[in-house]
Amino acid sequence: MLRVKAGEVDRMGLLFERYHRKLFQFLYHMLGRAEASEDLVQTVFYRMLKYRHTYTGEGEFRTWMYHLARNVLADHLKQNRHASRHHDVASLAETIPGGPGADERLQQEQEVATLHRALARLSEDHREVLLLSRFQELKYAEIARVLDVSEGAVKVRVHRAMHELKAMYLKIEN
Amino acid sequence: MRCEQAQEQLLDYLHHELSPPEQLVLDAHLAHCPDCQAELESTRQLWLTLGKVPTPEPSEQLRPAFYAMLGEFKQAAKPSPARVWLAQARSWLQNWLTPQFAARVAYNLCLLLVGIAGGYWMSRPQPAAPATGSQQELAQLTQQVQDMRQVLLLSLIDAPSATERLRAVGYTKELRQANPKVVEALLGTLNHDDNVNVRLATLEALAQLAPNEPAVRQGLVRSLAQQDSPLVQSALADVMVQLQEKRSVQPLRRLLRQPDLNEAVKTKIQESIKSLSSDAQTHETFFLARPAHPAELSM
Repeated sequence: MLRVKAGEVDRMGLLFERYHRKLFQFLYHMLGRAEASEDLVQTVFYRMLKYRHTYTGEGEFRTWMYHLARNVLADHLKQNRHASRHHDVASLAETIPGGPGADERLQQEQEVATLHRALARLSEDHREVLLLSRFQELKYAEIARVLDVSEGAVKVRVHRAMHELKAMYLKIEN
Repeated sequence: MRCEQAQEQLLDYLHHELSPPEQLVLDAHLAHCPDCQAELESTRQLWLTLGKVPTPEPSEQLRPAFYAMLGEFKQAAKPSPARVWLAQARSWLQNWLTPQFAARVAYNLCLLLVGIAGGYWMSRPQPAAPATGSQQELAQLTQQVQDMRQVLLLSLIDAPSATERLRAVGYTKELRQANPKVVEALLGTLNHDDNVNVRLATLEALAQLAPNEPAVRQGLVRSLAQQDSPLVQSALADVMVQLQEKRSVQPLRRLLRQPDLNEAVKTKIQESIKSLSSDAQTHETFFLARPAHPAELSM
């Protein structure tokens, strides 16, 4: 990224290849809609180019990227307050065949689908920390930098998120 | 370790966020606590399952869209000469317009203002009437300098070298008024100094002081009888005329009677007596009427 900042804009292609899937994953689970998430991926990369001079090189590139992604997401949500969210998740969950008596693989798929729905129903803050720690595999310290909070606060938030997820899972299952 | 504490750490354990000592303590607890083992297992299960939550692949359009955007960006960012110039000017300005620079400019402006104000204050017309503190101080200093001159004069006037004595006499030139001691010393020099030049210089000095000092006038008149140098005698006669000292007429006449008097001096004294008598006729007749008294001759 420092080379991009120095004027080698073509290097952004490399960063795109390396990170766009992860970024899409984060945005998709935050937003719940694939198409809109793709647009946001595009927006995040555009902002990285435009604001490349704000990248200081301190801390990892990923924390900067997720930081920008959160801002893009917040802007998007502000503009589309009335749009329905997690439409895709609902339809996804419905398409998965289920019911008692299914074999083990099916049962596991069922579990995953339930958990997916539970995740989608979590509060935004909790979903966010779970995504960053589980899917993006960021350390507490890195998450703290992305969110601009202390590491201790991140730890507490992750704990609460896991409790909420567990409770939500059990609630959907029953 | 209590279970409550252990369960708080299970998640950190799964996240590999525990320190090695913390991990050891937790391991030891887990080894003999089936409840916490079960809890750990369920949390781990949840964590693993969460990782399996699927994410759809981004569509085929995402990659080409990105590269199109990148290309457009490069096109737009390609700097035109004018923009390069503007950017340079801007960065130059940003480098200069720092707070430090502004502070420096402000400081210099302040100095300039102080200078202007100071100059204006110094050059404004001084109030004439009341004597300010500095004027009083100046008068005091002048007085001190004069006192010092007099002390110097007294210490030098008896020096063996004529040059030194001349210098001592020279100090009187800057005196406006002399104290009695100085007058006494000068008169002593006038009457008794061996050197004619010193006596002449002393006479000159005393002549300056004479208008304001009655004692000096008197001393000069008396000195007429004591001078034997023709130069000093004629100079003294001149001073008498200059001062219009009527009391000198009689001593002058007595001088005339001296048998060995220099011819030039005689003429000079006669002229002086004439000059002094011309506008003091009464005094002259009075003096002439009186017979010469032996006591007066001894003066």
